[in-house]
This record gives sequence, structure tokens and C-alpha cells, in this order.
Amino acid sequence: MNTDVSAIDVQNLTVSYGPVPALLDVSVTIPQGQLVGVIGPNGSGKSTFIKSLLGFLRPDFGDIRLFDEPIENSKGRVAYVPQRGAVDWDFPVTVREVALMGRYAKRPIWQNLTAEDRDIADQALEMVRMSDLRNRQIGQLSGGQQQRVFMARAMAQGGDILLLDEPFAGVDAATEHAILDVLERTKASGRTLVVVHHDLTTAAEYFDTIMLLKQRLFAYGSPEQVMHPDLLSQVYEGKLRVFATMDANSSSPGDES
Amino acid sequence: MMASLYDWLVSVQQASPHLMKALLAGGLVSTTCALIGCFIVLRRTSFLADAVAHSMLAGVVAGYLLMKLVYGDSAHTGAMLIGSIISGIITVAMVSFVSRASRVKEDAVIGIMYTGIFALGGVMVSFFSDVIHIDLYHFVIGSLLGVGDADLWMMGMVSCVVVVFIVMTFRWLQIITFDRVMAASIGIPVVLMDYLLTMSTSLGVVSGVRMVGVILVVGLLIAPAATAYLLCDRLRNMLWVSALLGWTGFLMGYIASEYMNVAPGSAIVVVLTAQFMLVFIIAPRYGLLADWRRRLTALPQQEVEDILGSVLRADGEALSLQQIAGYLDKRPERLRRAAASLDRQGLLAGDAQGYTLTDDGRKEARRLLRAHRLWETYLREAGVHEENLHAHAHVLEHVHDEDAVDYLDDKLGHPLTDPHGSEIPEDFLHLVPGELVKLAILREGHTGRIHSIGNLVSDQAIAGETVAVGPREDNGRIWVVSVTDASGNIRTLRLDHDQADDVSIRLD
Repeated sequence: MNTDVSAIDVQNLTVSYGPVPALLDVSVTIPQGQLVGVIGPNGSGKSTFIKSLLGFLRPDFGDIRLFDEPIENSKGRVAYVPQRGAVDWDFPVTVREVALMGRYAKRPIWQNLTAEDRDIADQALEMVRMSDLRNRQIGQLSGGQQQRVFMARAMAQGGDILLLDEPFAGVDAATEHAILDVLERTKASGRTLVVVHHDLTTAAEYFDTIMLLKQRLFAYGSPEQVMHPDLLSQVYEGKLRVFATMDANSSSPGDES
Repeated sequence: MMASLYDWLVSVQQASPHLMKALLAGGLVSTTCALIGCFIVLRRTSFLADAVAHSMLAGVVAGYLLMKLVYGDSAHTGAMLIGSIISGIITVAMVSFVSRASRVKEDAVIGIMYTGIFALGGVMVSFFSDVIHIDLYHFVIGSLLGVGDADLWMMGMVSCVVVVFIVMTFRWLQIITFDRVMAASIGIPVVLMDYLLTMSTSLGVVSGVRMVGVILVVGLLIAPAATAYLLCDRLRNMLWVSALLGWTGFLMGYIASEYMNVAPGSAIVVVLTAQFMLVFIIAPRYGLLADWRRRLTALPQQEVEDILGSVLRADGEALSLQQIAGYLDKRPERLRRAAASLDRQGLLAGDAQGYTLTDDGRKEARRLLRAHRLWETYLREAGVHEENLHAHAHVLEHVHDEDAVDYLDDKLGHPLTDPHGSEIPEDFLHLVPGELVKLAILREGHTGRIHSIGNLVSDQAIAGETVAVGPREDNGRIWVVSVTDASGNIRTLRLDHDQADDVSIRLD
């Protein structure tokens, strides 16, 4: 893999559902090996951005290149952990089957999955400590466990880019740390991560680089540059007050799961 | 067994060739529909399937007219089949186009499109009534006994196509149904697969309509699949079970209709629905009875844990239910069921006159006590007022997820006592002889052998040396260990928390 080219290169990306654009003229270049947080208020186009990078949404306008190739040529190189609310937890599928889906990109439809695929999926489950529950249907797990299953799927896929949509939403402290640990290890292995994040109080601590989105890209840079009160209050409008008080109290207990 | 079945089939064939055809056709159609139905249920497109069924009328009429007017060929099965598939696909395409391009939501668009296309078929039937001889009544309620050779061929082909399609593309179908975004991202042609699934639905509907009619065909598709959904935790199993239930539903319904001389289509769908209702009630995990039983036997976890805690604090003495209730400030009757359940689970021994903990119960209770005292220590650290400590910790101790408690323990620097000075039980879940653990979780008196060592202490000890842990110093912040090297020399190390975390020990 050529290490000079940037992992993600987005130019003038505009995506809309109906008449209102969800993303407008977003241009951003993410180098390889970065851990990037995407923040912004509800409905600011964070998930839309992720889904565009996955090639799931067709942009109205603009260009996305991954490792200097158009998206169509990079199928399977991007692994994805969906938002918890976007998953049908009643679906008849077991923990192990979900982890195995990470291998689907590697095998054409006419080939069966191999013993190697099963080993890789099992190892991924082992890494997130979900091996014991591998024959459970996914709806019977706790929120943190569910999140870890999808982390295992992404690791089994082994893409060069990992996209996570709100992985920390509604998980317990232990899972939050387990996920952070996996993110750090993934970054250390040279992969690029883009993580949608809702908690402003922890964003600066977790990420090297932060994208502040609200339809447009308001800021992109180091936490010191982006987590600027003027900028945040402009993007979050009235809602920032909540953030300001939360920040002041962030050392107090009460939000433990 | 096989021979007698064969004899029976031959006798049926000789006695009534129509019956034989009906059995064969019904078996093929009901299992095929049940297979497709699984995807309809999981993708929540039942209404769309209903729409496809109705819109078929226009296609059947168009196919009929084309063959009649161009070739003069009356009631050409193939043309009507192709016509109905095309009209099904047009309906789906119109629905997805209009609902995407306008603000009208999909269910309303489906309602508009299928009634419109169905009505168009009705208009054509009446306008060309002198050339068209379609029995609308049979179209609406189906006619199993009227199945001819051409129909049988059609049904056989449909079944082959659908089964081969599902088997060949099983992984793709699974993932586009479960996670479309990921499916698209790994290069699966999501839209093409949608259309192929719709085509399979149309094929299933076409053969199903021949059997039970337009109105009931949705039951043929969905009832067995929904029944299987209540029974299965894996898609593969759901497909098998659904096909089986489709077939049993058909067979029972059909036999009943022969005996009772009623319309077979209706009888089949009644049986399919009855199967569903039965499973809905008795399904082992997702059934109504299972749900009731869960509710009845469910005990407030808090009550269970409080009882264990009280008995543990009694320190080996038997506690009567009366005494436990006194500690917890609750009426004894309210605790009776929880205590009985703990008895059944093997956590408590004895009876209402005097309960003691079993070994398992003791372990569970110590786990809770550890969680409670760690929470108290944490809350104290976080500045919660002394008199609120117990109450808060009492709520939080029920968050005793092993990972969360271990995390708390580590963050607090593995404290030895809680704010009231009571000893916090050691991390006995991990402190098992032969296990590999961090030095930091060891308490006074533990011994073991150094397994590996990190950078922080690599100049002070090496792997393979034996260690014995002494009492901690500096309010528990300094770990004191005596290390014995290979030649038997003993020295003492003083380590802080980070250093102690950096040494892993194989316990003796």
C-alpha cells in the first residue's frame, strides 16, 4: 500500500434527501493512520457522511476517493460499525454469524466460507471477549455486548478504513474502554478510523483530529483548533449551554452506567 | 414404509388424477411461497407483496390479450405468467420511484399504485369482455382442483428458480436484509438483489394465486414465515422450518377441505393461521406462555441480591426469613418467593426458619459485597456526602457487571478497605491458583512466580523469580513484595500502582 496517498479524499461532497441537502460542499482530506472524530448536533449529516464514504448513498455532486481510487474500486476496504438504533436486533442471526459477515467481502458468492474465515471470525470475537456468547441471538445481549459484536465483525473484515457510527452511545464504562482500546490498536496497525461521536466532553480526549459538521464542514483540525467555544456555540446554537454546564461538572460522578 | 407410500400414491393417481396433481402442485407452491415469505417478513414488505399480488391482474389480462389478439391463442399460460411478473415489477418500480421522488410515504404510494393497476386490469377485462374469458372468481379465490399440466410445469419451474436463487445467493440475501449499508459497502449489488427478490416474490405470488387466489396468497407467503420467525434464531433454520410449516399447513388444509367439502384455498390459509396462533402461544422463547412464565418467575434482581447480602453479613449463622426481612425493612411474605427461588438455584440452603449460603451463594454474595464496597469507595472519592454513601452504593452495587467492577477497582488503585473501614473482598474471580494476573490485584499473603514484566520495573526483577506479597504501605498505595531469585537470595521491592500493573504473576 502506498503510504503517501491520503486514505480519504472528499471534494465538494453534496448529498441530499429530498429538497434539503444533508451535506453541502464538504471537502476534507484524511491522511492514513488517523483517528478522526466527527461531531455536530443531531441531524447535522454525520451519518450521511459515513454512508457516503461507504458508497451507500450516491452524492448529488462531488467526488470521494479512497487511497486515490474511486469508491467503486475500494469495495470491502472500508469496514463499518452501524449505529445501535439502525440494527434490527430481532433478526434471526447469532453472534458468530454476524462476525462471519466480516468475511463476506473476501469470498465471491459462488465460494463457501472456509475454515480460515471461521478462525478469523472466532479470533475477532475472542479479541472483544464475546466467544462465550457466540451462539446467542444478538437481541439477547446487553448494549455493550452488542456493540462489541459489530466491532468483531469490522475486525474480521480487516479493512484499511474503519467507520464507526456512534460506537459509544449507550454503552457501559467497561465497553467504552474496550472500544477505545480496540480503536487505539487499530490505529497503531496503520489503519484509518472515522468515528461519529456525540459527546463533546470526551471528543478532545479520544481523537487526534476532529471534524465539526453541520451540513457544511465548519472546522477540521486538532482538538484545540476545533473545540473552540465560539465555533461550538455557532454550530450548536442554544444547545451549547448544556455542554458548557456538563463540561464544568465533568469530573463529578453520576453518569456511570 | 416407502413401498406402502408409493402404493398409496399410485392408488390416488389411479382413483383421481386431479387429486394427485393438486397434491403435487400444492406441495411445490406452498413450500416455495413459505421460503420467499421469510424475506418478506424480515424486510417488512408484506404490504408490497399484497400489492404485487393484486397488480398481477393487469399483467394476466395483458398477456392473455396479446396472445389472443396477435396469435389467436386463447389462455396461453406462459404469456399470462410473464405478463403478471412484468406487472409486478412495474408496480414495485413505480412504488419505489414515487416514494423516493415525492413526499408521500411508501405505504400510501403502495395503496395508490396497486389499486390503480388492479383497477386497470378490471377495466381491460370488461372492455375486452367479448375476447377475454378469464374467470375473475377463480382469480380472486383460486382453484386447486383446476390445476392442469401446464400449470404444474409452471409451478415446478417457479419452485426450481426460486430455490436455486435462494440457495445460490443465501449470504447476499442474508446481509442485504440484515445490513444494507454494509452490503453496499462490500460491493453487493443491492438494487439488483432487491429486484431479483421482487421477481421471486412475483413468481411465488403467480403460482400461489393459481392455488388460493389473490386475496389469500399473502397468507401463503407470510403465515409460515412468521411462524418460523417465532421459533428460530438463525435465518437458515427459519427457511427450513418455514418451508416445512408451509407444507404441513397445505396438506392439513387440503385434506380437511376434501373431507368437509369446503374451498381448499380458504381451508389451507385457515390451517396456516391456526399454526401461527398455536406457535404464538407455545413457542419456547418468543411465545405468549413463555413470556407469562418469565413475568411470573421474574424476581426483582435487587431483592435477590439484598437477601444474599444479608445472609452473608450474618457471617455463617443461619438467618430466618423474619430476620432477613427485618434487615431489609420489608415484609417477610414479599421475600418468600425470592428466597425460594434462590433455594432452587442452589444459592441458599435451609428453610424459612434459618437460611445459610451454599458455596455458590457465598461466592455470589461476596461478588455483590465487593461491588458495593468499591462503589462506596468510589462515591467517597467523588465527593458524595458520608450519609448518602450507603444509599447510593446500594443502588449502584446492582451494577456489578464484572468488567465495570474491575475497572472501578483499577481506577481506585485497588483499595483494601471501604470508607467505613470494612475490608473490600479481594478479586476472587481472578485470583485462582494457576491463573495469570497483574501483581496489583494481589493481597497480603499471595504467592506466585513472575510470568512477564513491563518496562517500568524491568530493571528490578526478571521473569521466573518467585514473589510473596506483604502488607501494603502508604495507605495501600505502595505494594511491598519479597522476591526470591534463582539462587535463593531474597530482596524487597516497593512498587506503585503503575509498576504493580506492569508485572504479571502466575499464581501458586
